[in-house]
Amino acid sequence: MTLPPSVLQAQATLGELVDLKSFGEVCQSFAELYRVGLKVFDAQGNKLVDVKVGNADFCGYIWQKPDGRAQCIATVSRVKSEEVPEEAKPTVFDCFSGCRYCVQPVVYEGDVIGRIVFGPFVPEDLVRLPQGLTGISKDFDEKLAAGYLQKIRRVAQATSEKIVKHFGDLVDVLVFTGHKNQLTARLHIEAMQESYRELQEKNRQLEASYAALKELDRLKSNFIATMSHELRTPLTSVIGYSEMMLEGLGGPLTSEQREYLGIIMEKGENLLQLITSILDISKIEAGRTRLVIAEVDVGQVLRDAVATVLPLARKKGVKVVWEPSPLPRIHCDRDKVRQCIVNLVNNAVKFTPAGGQVTVDARPLPGERVALQVADTGIGIAPDHLARVFDVFYQVDGSSTREYGGAGLGLAIVKSYVEAHGGEIKVESAPGKGSTFTVVLPVRAAAGPVMSPVGTTQVAAG
Amino acid sequence: MVQFNNETRELSIKVVYYGPALSGKTTNLQELFKKIDPKVRGRLMTLDTKDDRTLFFDMMPVFFRTSTGVKVKLKLYTVPGQVMHESTRRIVLQGSDAIAFVADSRRSEAASTLAYWNNMLKNLEANGLDYRTLPIVIQMNKMDLPDARTEAEFGDLKEIISPMVVPAVAIRGEGVLETLYALLQLCYRSLDARIGLEGKWKISEQEFLACIFSHVDMRGTKLATVGAPR
Repeated sequence: MTLPPSVLQAQATLGELVDLKSFGEVCQSFAELYRVGLKVFDAQGNKLVDVKVGNADFCGYIWQKPDGRAQCIATVSRVKSEEVPEEAKPTVFDCFSGCRYCVQPVVYEGDVIGRIVFGPFVPEDLVRLPQGLTGISKDFDEKLAAGYLQKIRRVAQATSEKIVKHFGDLVDVLVFTGHKNQLTARLHIEAMQESYRELQEKNRQLEASYAALKELDRLKSNFIATMSHELRTPLTSVIGYSEMMLEGLGGPLTSEQREYLGIIMEKGENLLQLITSILDISKIEAGRTRLVIAEVDVGQVLRDAVATVLPLARKKGVKVVWEPSPLPRIHCDRDKVRQCIVNLVNNAVKFTPAGGQVTVDARPLPGERVALQVADTGIGIAPDHLARVFDVFYQVDGSSTREYGGAGLGLAIVKSYVEAHGGEIKVESAPGKGSTFTVVLPVRAAAGPVMSPVGTTQVAAG
Repeated sequence: MVQFNNETRELSIKVVYYGPALSGKTTNLQELFKKIDPKVRGRLMTLDTKDDRTLFFDMMPVFFRTSTGVKVKLKLYTVPGQVMHESTRRIVLQGSDAIAFVADSRRSEAASTLAYWNNMLKNLEANGLDYRTLPIVIQMNKMDLPDARTEAEFGDLKEIISPMVVPAVAIRGEGVLETLYALLQLCYRSLDARIGLEGKWKISEQEFLACIFSHVDMRGTKLATVGAPR
């Protein structure tokens, strides 16, 4: 990679360094102040400024005579392009007409970038018109010319040099300022362009690594989905055959055998549930979960869900309270909503010590919505963990010796399903006192995409 | 890269003062500005922000004619030191003929100095400049401060290339001319090898340096006793 050439490499011309319009105005007022004409050329001989003061009649009269015109052109050409020393000092040029010019190069950073021509003016010591002028034509009217000459200012040599030097200093400052401004502006742009180019390059690299990561993530989800499925199939057999044996289909069992088989079945069910959760979440992440919307009796769904969790609660000594109340029928995916409630109640039971209570409640909300609430009197969640409890695999207690089991998937799945219904889930908690999870569902859900809860959390945070 | 014009017999040489923020790059140029005769130098152009930190660069031209009529234009630049001006640093480095790396000698600055040094090598490369052959001098600035490293402790900057090191206290003008002298000497040799200053342009090393340093106030420098040419 190489950078495009910078303005720092470029050689600027006088015309680029000063603002020609305002420079012209400065020259105009300067020439008017001293009542002498002023011209400024750039290094290539282009005339940038030409202010005529007082000499129009005199020079115009000479210009009418062919000889006068020729000599005038010669003088102008000398003044414009004859070589002068490369330093900021005036050089005098005499015109055949008796007038005089004072010329000074514009030197910037050691280079001649233009020249200042001050004049014509009448030298102070000029007494009468020179012969070279009066003799240019037989009909030359000396009196008329002398009259015209009166209109041109008389300037002493020393004064003219002082004026030109003063103007040279002025131009020097203008050029320096102009150059400085030009470099500032151009470099600003160049720096921006360079930063932009650099950012683009970094963006490209980021995009590439993002794409690679996404692909890896997709492969991971696929792998988990496949694995979960492959794990579930034999597990179903393990559970099924245990059940058959318990029912005595394999012959009579001793009480010890029954106890062991019971443990195999229970642990098998736990494992199956876990694998199912993993399968669900990987389906969600892969974007393969679809809602099946139908008209559903929410009361019925709640009853089912509570019934599912009741044995676990009884075993743990946690009371589950549920008062059926009249609710509208709503459009939703029955299985997904049921699973949400089961997950929430399961969690509530899990984190509530014996003697505690889990309350399930449902009520219609204004705006065609329904609120489903699961409150417990459990250990609660500290405020700094609240925002993250819905993240996949997130555990408030992430230590390996933690007291409560689970893979950290339940709430993530709930959030995905609820949001896919166009609903929302909220949590309030006081550590040591308990937590309340509230699911708000629209009465008429449109089937939205089921998205990974990690993504939705990030969007919400951003 | 040196710009030369055979027709007008002109040479343009670019020298860049590079280094971390507040290491003394601008101070170097300000001291040179004071010491070089206004006849052979232009104004010191400083593009700075309100708080006196360099925004884009400082620049000072030095120009002279050799006895054979070759016009030599030397432009001295600084880069902005603050980290955020990375792209400007890269732009200013473009086409450099010689680099003075101004380092803050204090031990506390060693890490950031090394980072800037490596960053400079990277930016030179990005500009297509080969730092193995480019004339580079390290100025160990702020040698008067109690925490200053000795020359032997600058090994971390010499792992890739091993440039000459010149001690300095730029704020007092010490070592500033020595740095420029050493750098221009290297610069002459590098240009001579590339475009034949001696053979083709008829400029000897002695004349090249004398053209500049005869217009410099050398009082208080070691160079005065070494015998500034002419």
